[in-house]
Formats: sequence, C-alpha cells, structure tokens
Amino acid sequence: MQAQDRLHWSTEQGEVIEKDGIRITPESRSLTIRWPNGGLVWNRPLAVVVDRGGTTERIPIVDVTRWIVWGAAGFAALVFLLGGILSRRK
Amino acid sequence: MESGMGIEQRPLDIVSQRITDTIGRLFDIARPGAVFSEPVEAEGYIAITAKEIVTGMGMGLGAGSGEEPAGEDGKPGSGGEGAGGGGGGYSYGRPVAVISIGRDGVQVTPVLDATKIGLALLTAWGAIAITTMRMRRFSRRSLG
Repeated sequence: MQAQDRLHWSTEQGEVIEKDGIRITPESRSLTIRWPNGGLVWNRPLAVVVDRGGTTERIPIVDVTRWIVWGAAGFAALVFLLGGILSRRK
Repeated sequence: MESGMGIEQRPLDIVSQRITDTIGRLFDIARPGAVFSEPVEAEGYIAITAKEIVTGMGMGLGAGSGEEPAGEDGKPGSGGEGAGGGGGGYSYGRPVAVISIGRDGVQVTPVLDATKIGLALLTAWGAIAITTMRMRRFSRRSLG
C-alpha cells in the first residue's frame, strides 16, 4: 500500500440538481486514511456551486457548530496558557 | 472447502475476503452522495440537507495450528487448530446546513447543534474559572 493510498484528501462534486433554470452542484471534501484491515473516513460538505444561466456563484457551507466549539476550546486553552505564564512571572 | 471455481478455500480466507469487502464499503461514504441527502420538493422549494460524517473501522483475525510430537511408545501425538478474530468501529454524523432552492434563489442555512455548543461552552467556562481561581490563589500567596 502506497502513502497516497493510505492518506487521501479530495474534493468531489455531487449530482447536479436543477430547478427553475438554476443548476446547483454540491461539493464535498473527504479525508481517507487506510491501514491494513481498517480505515477512517471524514467527509464534510464544502460548498454549492450555483449556475444561473451562465453566471456561476460558489456559496460556501460554513459549519458554524464546529467554529464555535473550536473557538471555545482555543479561547480556554489561551486563557489557561496565559494564566500559567502570568503566575510564573509574579 | 470447495468454492464455485473448484479451488479450495480455507474458512480463514473466506473471512479475510469478507473483511476486505466490508472495509471497501466503508470508503463508499467518501462520496458526495453520502454527505448530501436526496432532494425533497415541497411548496415550490427543493431542500437538501448537508451533513458531516466520520467513520472508522478496524478488524483483525488470526489462526494457528499445532501438533504434538509422537510419543516414545510410537503413538501419534494429538493436534489442534484454532482461529479468532475481532473488530470495532465508530460512526458519527451531524447535520451542518440546509440548502434550499426556490423562487428567491439558493439559500444555505446553517444548522446549530445546541447540545454540542452548550457542552463546549460549559467546558471552556470551567477551564477559565479554574485558571482564574489558581491565579487569584497564587497572587494572594505572593502578597502574603
């Protein structure tokens, strides 16, 4: 098994959906890790590409929950680190 | 064991093949079709849900056999064989957004996971509170 087969990061487009002259193509991004007799897949929506009569617009899909969770974790870690540094200085 | 092709296949080979097939199916969720739902049409709108999926799996199996050497009296020794296997997996999915297509164009509405956000904020608040208490205790000691 080669390294690129073990770890694969790709962006793929799904089936086109059409309504009232609007064509939308969903995009997803996946991370695949393979090992002998096992593996892990993380797949998430990335964006929708909207085509209105030749005008193309890309609307990103933002995972608000993930941003808030990682933001809270980052802020807590920062406070924890700063607290440690300030306590040592005093 | 005889397979359809007339080639002898051991039970372990069959199990091993099934494991490979099962793991192969795991990677099907890397397709966009697994993340976006089938479009649902109602009241002039088309709605598609978009979700995040994480799946992990691991399996293993082993087999062995042995034979006891023949005894001094010339009697053949007994033999035995055994095989075993095990596996585990994890799967997780969470809605991220709803895509709606209608008269007013295309809209992407985020879906908030209140439980996950609540737990994260509570944990962060706890960590900050502990750090603040430690700092206060430390400054009191320094002044004293």
